[in-house]
Amino acid sequence: MAVLHAWRAARVTPLGELHTPPRMTAVLLRLTVQIVLVASLWHGLYADTGTTAGLDRDQAVTYAVLAVLASRMRELDQYAGRDTVLQHMHFGTIVYWYLRPLPPQRYHALRALGEKLYGFAWALAGYTVCLTAGVVEPPKSAATAGVFVLSLLLGQLVLYYVLLVLDQMCFWTVRNNAAMLILIFAQNLLSGVYAPLWFFPGWFVTLSAFLPFQATLNVPLSLYIGRIPLSDAGLQLAVQAAWVVALHLFTRFLWRRAALRVMSQGG
Amino acid sequence: MQSLRIMWRITLLNFRAQLEYRTEFLLMVAIGAIWQVSVIVFATVLLARFTGMGGWDSSEVLLIPATRMLAHALFVLFLGRVHGAGRQIQEGRIDTYLLRPMPVHRQLQLAFFPTNAIGDLTVAVGLMIGALSRSELDWTPGRIGYLIAAVIGGLFLEAALFTALASASLRFPAADYWSYWLEELLGTFGSYPLNVLPRAVGGFLTYGLPLAFVAYFPVAVLTGHGHDTGAPYWLAAASPLLGVLAYLGARWLWRWSLRHYSGING
Repeated sequence: MAVLHAWRAARVTPLGELHTPPRMTAVLLRLTVQIVLVASLWHGLYADTGTTAGLDRDQAVTYAVLAVLASRMRELDQYAGRDTVLQHMHFGTIVYWYLRPLPPQRYHALRALGEKLYGFAWALAGYTVCLTAGVVEPPKSAATAGVFVLSLLLGQLVLYYVLLVLDQMCFWTVRNNAAMLILIFAQNLLSGVYAPLWFFPGWFVTLSAFLPFQATLNVPLSLYIGRIPLSDAGLQLAVQAAWVVALHLFTRFLWRRAALRVMSQGG
Repeated sequence: MQSLRIMWRITLLNFRAQLEYRTEFLLMVAIGAIWQVSVIVFATVLLARFTGMGGWDSSEVLLIPATRMLAHALFVLFLGRVHGAGRQIQEGRIDTYLLRPMPVHRQLQLAFFPTNAIGDLTVAVGLMIGALSRSELDWTPGRIGYLIAAVIGGLFLEAALFTALASASLRFPAADYWSYWLEELLGTFGSYPLNVLPRAVGGFLTYGLPLAFVAYFPVAVLTGHGHDTGAPYWLAAASPLLGVLAYLGARWLWRWSLRHYSGING
């Protein structure tokens, strides 16, 4: 029975997407255009340059294209379905999360799981096409592929918890659009979405090493392209795992505190 | 005159409303600045690692994000509420606007004060001053006039793109999804010479999605690269005018879409 409930909660967003073909067409078009543009940009930039920041052209293109594909696992538009925590707080409907037999934290996690799996299907399909077309390089070895998958999984967990903290902030702040935008910006910048972190100055790379954002994307992608050697993979995976544990404990604490702030029918 | 006075009073009230939550107000100013800084970071990282981008030197390249960001900041300040109009449409506010004795588009623009524009504008002006001080061009009155026209043209072109999407949102509120992508594309691909891209891709960003007209073409004309853009020189030079024409076209599309708009009750 619990599995059935979990399945029903997890499939909400994917089902919504599957029932709106224009949105799926938009995603397909956007993904295709974005990959072509990003691949063209890095090819163009490397036209007169050999290796820079420890990355050659193929590594940079692979990194940038994989970053675009990975972004599919984050960018589902819950807003249209009015099911973001921000909207629930705004309209007062968050209380229903606490009146159901399913705990809110589990509902949130299941929704996120469904979205990530749906986004992953897109990313995997895109990766297969890009690999076949020679846009991205395959991993150097089976060991690299294995480490990458593990690192990507941990990175997605870190990303989930970071975004969960943003959602949980809504319980304390009536208006927090700006704070959310700032944190999303930080995530983009410090995880390597805008440009591979290796192109940034040394102090910037060092600073980002102390924050959870680089664990979401930069670490798995750097392992994939070989910018982080396999010999260093153990340490990087351990750092990712540490962030997962720390953020899990922190968000669990926040869920407890948040529950105390929810009022039904005025108290 | 009366309508201008009303607009001014509503804007002042909107500004006071934004001040209700002081922390949020300050953060919104910060997010405007941070968003613009992200564009600068991206551009400077590329400039530092890949010198001589597309045959342009770094001081020339810097003029592109400076022009684009200033145009963008002014767009956000004056006409920016069309970005994200889908949310107002989805919440049914358009139905209310239709009942009031003020044009719907004006009410849409006066829905709230764009606090983030303060941050946007501050960083954009700073970058423009920096770009102009590093520029080795001879800034004649003609060049200065063309730069001002380019900024205004860029403002209107960006407004035209977002107005077209807002028009689509009247029929399909989910079309708003595209506006975030458009903003991202403008930020990442509108800030450096597009001749680093393959010709077909550059052509797409010129004739398919006209990002090239926002800043790249006008700056290419200003810096003497106007003949190397892959587009006819006259077309590149006419960018500011095209921005205004595109906006007039987009406003016609908005009016047409509004006539065919049907709310939740038909």
